[in-house]
Amino acid sequence: MTIALHLVAGVEFNTLPQQLVNGVLLGAIYALIALGYTMVYGVLRLINFAHGEVYMLGAYVALFTSYFLGFRPDQYPTGSTVANLLIMLLASMVVCSLVGVAIERFAYRPMRGHSRIASLITAIGVSLLLQYGGALFLPTSPPPSISEKVNPYYGQSKTFALAKPSPALAQEAEKLRPATESAKASYQAWLSTHPDANEFELPADGKALKTTAQDTERKYQDAKHKLDTGGVNLIIQTGQAVMLIATVVLMGILTYLVLFTKAGRAMRAVAHAFDSAALMGVNVNSIVTFTFVLGSALAGAGAMMTATFLGTPLSTFYGLAPGVKAFVAAVLGGIGNIPGAVLGGLLMGLAENTVVWLGYSNYRDAIAFIVLIIVLLFKPGGLMGSSKVEKV
Amino acid sequence: MKFWGIRFVSIIIAIVACLALQAFEGGRSDYEQRIIVLIGLYITLAVSLNLINGITGQFSIGHAAFYQVGAYLTGFLTVTYFAKQPIHNLGAWLILMMVVGALGAAIAGLIVGLPSLRLRGDYLAIVTLGFGEIIRIIVQNQRILGGSYGMNVAPKYKSIALVWMLAIFCIAVCRNLLKTAHGLPFLAVREDEVASSAMGVNVTRVKVTAFLLGSAFAGAAGALLAHFEGFITPTTFGMDVSFIILTMVVLGGTGSITGSVVAAALLSYLPEYLRGLKGPDGQALQIAGYNVVAWLIAVGVAVALIRWAINNYHGPKAKKYGLYVGAFLVGFVVRYVTSFGLKFIPGLAAKLIPVDQVRMLIFAVALIVIMLLRPQGIFAHHEFSWSWVRRLFTRRPVPQTAVSA
Repeated sequence: MTIALHLVAGVEFNTLPQQLVNGVLLGAIYALIALGYTMVYGVLRLINFAHGEVYMLGAYVALFTSYFLGFRPDQYPTGSTVANLLIMLLASMVVCSLVGVAIERFAYRPMRGHSRIASLITAIGVSLLLQYGGALFLPTSPPPSISEKVNPYYGQSKTFALAKPSPALAQEAEKLRPATESAKASYQAWLSTHPDANEFELPADGKALKTTAQDTERKYQDAKHKLDTGGVNLIIQTGQAVMLIATVVLMGILTYLVLFTKAGRAMRAVAHAFDSAALMGVNVNSIVTFTFVLGSALAGAGAMMTATFLGTPLSTFYGLAPGVKAFVAAVLGGIGNIPGAVLGGLLMGLAENTVVWLGYSNYRDAIAFIVLIIVLLFKPGGLMGSSKVEKV
Repeated sequence: MKFWGIRFVSIIIAIVACLALQAFEGGRSDYEQRIIVLIGLYITLAVSLNLINGITGQFSIGHAAFYQVGAYLTGFLTVTYFAKQPIHNLGAWLILMMVVGALGAAIAGLIVGLPSLRLRGDYLAIVTLGFGEIIRIIVQNQRILGGSYGMNVAPKYKSIALVWMLAIFCIAVCRNLLKTAHGLPFLAVREDEVASSAMGVNVTRVKVTAFLLGSAFAGAAGALLAHFEGFITPTTFGMDVSFIILTMVVLGGTGSITGSVVAAALLSYLPEYLRGLKGPDGQALQIAGYNVVAWLIAVGVAVALIRWAINNYHGPKAKKYGLYVGAFLVGFVVRYVTSFGLKFIPGLAAKLIPVDQVRMLIFAVALIVIMLLRPQGIFAHHEFSWSWVRRLFTRRPVPQTAVSA
C-alpha cells in the first residue's frame, strides 16, 4: 500500500500521453532490432548475441557516411536534404548486411553441428570481439555523434494540445500579473533615481522594493508554470515522425519479402523444420544468409535512424543496451515469431517510458530484464509463441 | 584409517602452504600481492562457476552478480558494525564475513536458481545475465552503498592465506563431489535432464544445490575482494567480469576443475603481464594498429587451416600434429606479409594502441578460437591426477596381442 502511494505521489498524469508516444517511437526501433533476433532464432535456434554490435557498426557507418557527405564537426555545412538521409540509410543497411553475413559465414556456420551452448559462446565471443576490437579502431573519445545539421527536420516539431488547462489557472495567473508588473516598475523607478546603488547592498527602502518585486514575480511565475503544465500537450518532432514512418515502411517490405516471395517461403520452411526443408531441396545455407541479410539490414536502418534523429553519442557499446532490450522484446513476443517481435518491441518501449514517467529513470535498463524474467517464468513461449514440451 | 590420515595430512599441508605464501609475499610489493590475490579469487570464481556450468550443465553467465552480493554485503557490514562489535580481531572478523558473504550470495543464488528451474539452455543464460544486471543496477541506485561512486570498505585487511585457502577449499569441494557418489546426480543432470529424472534423480534438488554452492563460493570470494581492495564500485562486477569468468571455464574445459584452475590463473595473470611489458623507450609497450589487424587475420587463417586438417585429414596422428604446426607457421608468415601490406594504410599505421588495452580482444578471440577448434575446451573432461604424472615417467607396457605375436 505504501509502495503504491509512493508510486503515485511523484507522478504527473498530464505527461503520460507524451511518454506513451515516446514509448511507441522507441518501441518501433526496438521492434526493428528484435526482428533480426527473432528471424535468426527462428531459422538457426541461435541467440545472435552479436546483433547489438551489428547495430553499433550501423551507427558508425552512418557517422562516416555523414562525414563523407560533408557533415564533419569541423565544417559548417548549411543545409541538408532527404537524399543525404537516404544515402546514409542505404550505406548502413548494406554494410550491416555484409557484416552480418560475414559473422554467420565465419563464426556461426562452422558451429552448426555442435551444441547450442557452443554456438551461444561463439556468439558471445563475436560480440566481445566487435565491442573491444572496435574500441581500438573506431573513434570513441570524445564520443562522436552525427551532426544534427544532416537532419533536414532538425528542430521542427508539432505541438498538439490534447486538453486545455482549466480556466481557473489562467484567471489566477492573470490576476497576479498587474501586481507583479507594478512592483517591478516601482523597483526599476527606484533604481533609476539611485544610479549609484549597489544591487547587492541596497538601503532599506530599495531592498524592500526589490524583495516585493522578486516575491510577486515568483508567485506569478509559479502560477504561469501551473498554467503551462496544467494542459496536456503532445510534442512530436518531425524527425521522430519520419523515423516511425520509415520503420513502418521497412516492416512492410519485410512482411512482403517473408510472406510473398519464394525466398521468404523457403525461410519459413527452414524455420519450421531445418532438416526437412533441406531434404525438400531448399538451399539452407543461402536461406540462412538471406535471413542474416534481412535482419542485419533492419538493424543498420534502426541504428542510422536513432543515431541521426536522436543524436546519441556513439561508442562501441552503443548496441549493448538496445540489443539486450530488443532481444527481450523478441522473447516477450515469442521468439521466432515475426509479428510477436513487433508487438514485443512496442511493449518494451512503452514499459521503459512508463518507468521513466513513474520517476524511476535510473531503473530503465533493469525493466527489460525484469519483464524478461516475468515472461519466461509465466509464459516461456512469449505472448504470441507457443512453448513446446521437451521429449527425449 | 589411511584414508583419514591422507585427508588430515593434505589439509595440514594446504594450510601450511597458504601461510607460507602469505609469509613469503608479506614483505613484497603491493602490485605482486594484488596479482597473487586476484589469481586466487579468479580460481575460486572459475571453479565455482564450473560447478554450475560444467559439472551440472546449467549455462549461467551472470556469476559476477554473486561476487558482487558477497562484496557489497560484507563491505556494508564491516563499515557499519565492525567498530561496534566485540570481535576486535580483523582476521577472525574477515572469516565471519566470508561465511556471511557466502550465505548472502547463496540466498541470491537460491533466488536465481529456483525460478530458473523451468528454463534451460540459452534462456537460462539470458535470465542469469539479466539477474546479474538487475543486481548491479539496484546496487548502483542505493545511496547507502555508495551508488555509482563506489563504497570504501574500512578497515581493510589483506590476507593472501585466506584467499588461497578459499580457492583450495573450493577446488576440494568440487573435486570430492566429482569423485564420490554425491556428484553422480550432477553429472547425470548435465548429460540428460529428462533421462536422469526418469532414473530417480531429484533434478530440482541437484540444480538448486549447484546454484547454492557455486554462488556461495563466489560470495565468499567477493567478501575477500572487498576487504583486500578496500574500495568497490558496481563496475568492478560488470557484465565483462561475468564474461571473463565464463571464458576461463570454457577455455579450460567445461567440467574440468583442472582446466578452470589453469585457465583462471593464466587469464587473470595475462592483463598484468601485458601491463608490465615495456617498449624500447621504457614506456608501456604500444602496438601499432596494423599489427593488431595482421594478428587477427593470421589467427583466422591458422584456425581455418587447422579446421580443415581436423575435418579432412585422417592419417597418422604424428602427421596430423605436423599439419597443425604447419598451420601455425603459415599463420606467422601471413602475419608478417599482411602487416607489411597493411602498413601502407595511413589510419592503421599511425594508430598506436597500448598493449594492455587488447586484453578483452584476446579474451574474445580465445573464446571464438577455442569454440571453433576444440569446443570441449583445452582439458575437456580430463583432470589432473598423480597416476597421470606417474605414467609420464614410466614406460608403458607394449600391449601384446595374438596378431602381433
